[in-house]
Amino acid sequence: MSELIKKLSECVEFGKVDKNSPFPPQMKGQDGAFELTEQALKEGIGSQDILEEALVPAMDRVGRKFSENKIFVPQMLMSAKAMGAAMVVLKPYFISGDIKTKGTFVIGTVFGDLHDIGKNLVAMMIEGSGWSVIDLGVDVSSDKFVETIKENPGAVVGLSALLTTTMVNMEEVTNAIKEASPETKVTIGGAPVNDDFCKKIGADNYSPDPQGVVEWLNKLAS
Amino acid sequence: MKKYKIKLYPLGKELEVNENTPLTDVLHEYGVEFPCAGKGTCGNCKVKVLSGSIELSDNHKQKVEKLGLEDNRRLACLSSCTDDVTLEVDQFAHIILADETEFEFTAQKGFGVAVDLGTTTVVAQLIDLSTGEVVAVETLLNPQVRFGSDLISRVQASLDGNAQEMTKLIRESIGSMIELMLEKHPAEPDKVVIVGNTAMQLIFADCDATPLAAYPFHIDDLSKKTFDANELGWNFNTNNKVEFHSSIGSFVGSDILAGIAATGLHRKEKYTALIDLGTNGEIVVGNKDQIVCASTAAGPAFEGANISMGMRATTGAISSLSFENGEMKAEVIGNSKPKGICGSALIDAIAILHKKELIGMFGEIASGEESIKLAGKVSLNQKDINEFLLAKAAIAAGLDILASNLSIELEDINEVYIAGGFGNYINIENVVSTGMIETEGEKIHKMGNTALIGAKMLLFKDADFTKTILQKTKHINLEGDPNFQDIYVNKMMLL
Repeated sequence: MSELIKKLSECVEFGKVDKNSPFPPQMKGQDGAFELTEQALKEGIGSQDILEEALVPAMDRVGRKFSENKIFVPQMLMSAKAMGAAMVVLKPYFISGDIKTKGTFVIGTVFGDLHDIGKNLVAMMIEGSGWSVIDLGVDVSSDKFVETIKENPGAVVGLSALLTTTMVNMEEVTNAIKEASPETKVTIGGAPVNDDFCKKIGADNYSPDPQGVVEWLNKLAS
Repeated sequence: MKKYKIKLYPLGKELEVNENTPLTDVLHEYGVEFPCAGKGTCGNCKVKVLSGSIELSDNHKQKVEKLGLEDNRRLACLSSCTDDVTLEVDQFAHIILADETEFEFTAQKGFGVAVDLGTTTVVAQLIDLSTGEVVAVETLLNPQVRFGSDLISRVQASLDGNAQEMTKLIRESIGSMIELMLEKHPAEPDKVVIVGNTAMQLIFADCDATPLAAYPFHIDDLSKKTFDANELGWNFNTNNKVEFHSSIGSFVGSDILAGIAATGLHRKEKYTALIDLGTNGEIVVGNKDQIVCASTAAGPAFEGANISMGMRATTGAISSLSFENGEMKAEVIGNSKPKGICGSALIDAIAILHKKELIGMFGEIASGEESIKLAGKVSLNQKDINEFLLAKAAIAAGLDILASNLSIELEDINEVYIAGGFGNYINIENVVSTGMIETEGEKIHKMGNTALIGAKMLLFKDADFTKTILQKTKHINLEGDPNFQDIYVNKMMLL
């Protein structure tokens, strides 16, 4: 692995967005994910390699540390931001099809619920594991999910809710999705949700943390 | 352990407590406030010893002399139980406001009842309207807690068809609390004023609370609800209708309206904040011209929920922690063995652990171990610390966003009042050092149960009084702020 790829991977893991970002303090003044991705492309490293060898392993380490309680939301968000900076540089290669993603993941917070930090973290972690992510935002209706699945055949769906009173809406959304497209896989998450609830509403997977979703998705893709 | 009897006059309450139990622990439950936080400087918690004795330490003696109190007077905040005693509690005779001036009221005839209906605790006081004196007090755990401890669980219970049961339970409970007070003090109450959060009001009034279950959380009618005592199934009459005051918004109720009244925030020239560290973590910022308020999801962690050894501020809870001579020192409520930790000590723990570099800027345990021992068998694990960070960030972000809504800076807030169940035990210096309230410590004042203080004030006020407050008060949805996520996550760090 080239020194550049290793450095870029570290920037993402520790949340160094670009040269100007003050965080993390020990990397102050150094190039960040944004600059290093540009340099890697200039040196002729393939865009797919940058994604798979630098970004994906970095986000994998972040996801593991998060699920082991070694890091918390702020660090994960900083890492996601650093990854986002690299993604901006790589965007043309996604559009041109030079970078192949593992699949499409549609995510949203179900109707009646406006909480989105957890959903956003999951979306960023999944993007960082090499999937295309379509984020439908919060208070998303069953119709909107179904419509998006029709536009993106083969997409996997993630549903989020934070309240005990809104998690029940996951059942309605799951039913609507399974009715319109029985083969579509649905994963659910959020503070009040658990495995029993997942089985009860006929969803395919529940994960207590972002890393769990990533691992489940990667199994689906392999 | 030895037990002693304490009689509280004029309430006619008799309690049995463990030897050396601080009086603070005993009186706190009856709505007594400790404005200077137990420093012994304000004199607001003074009691008269009618029989028995309370030991006087050198420090206590100095403070009593400095305040010019009579020989039989003691400061409750510096006293503990070492004898059977009968005490006359000074505060029951006066309604005390944060600025330590007595509430100006127009003396009226008869008696009134003020009720703070909390999600967790219900407090009722019988007031002599001619003098403003509290003549009886009752406290009770809200009987609805069997349906869950937080507000959303009550809404869920309404959805599950338990609304009428909850309505019946709370009406009966408040009715019998008032009856108990009237037994001790025979009178026909002229007025009953109840305050509480929006869900508590709707459930009490037998109105539909289920819109609070999901976005858009719209409640058609937030207004004051009035009742005849017999309609509530109460066995006594009231000369005027029973009033449950107006809510401000879907998640900010009349308890906060009462809190605004208690702090006098609506009359102040300079910007003032009120932060209720109860179950719903409401925040208010404003002055005489405009007021904004919001609720945050901060409360549960401070009340022990989601903290592995967390508990409410009751017997056995560590109420405060300090670091002395190289070791952690714990104060335990009721002077018993530590069973768990309540909100105030959780704040202390984080502040101390961070200062001692035992946890880092993200709350990470520096040693890499699973948990940190605090006192006895009580410890904090990484998840507990994370829960605290979420809660403190919710408060800090709420204050920040409300200030931006008023187009002011945090520095422009002249005073911050802290209300809430464990408020009495809070160490302000530690609150500031965790970054929960980003202002100077001297601007922060503890005010105890502002809802109850405000409810008492409302007994003396007409409808115009609350109307003027409601007219200038706006309810804000914090998560509607486009920068909410960045601000919130930023505030999770310990700096």
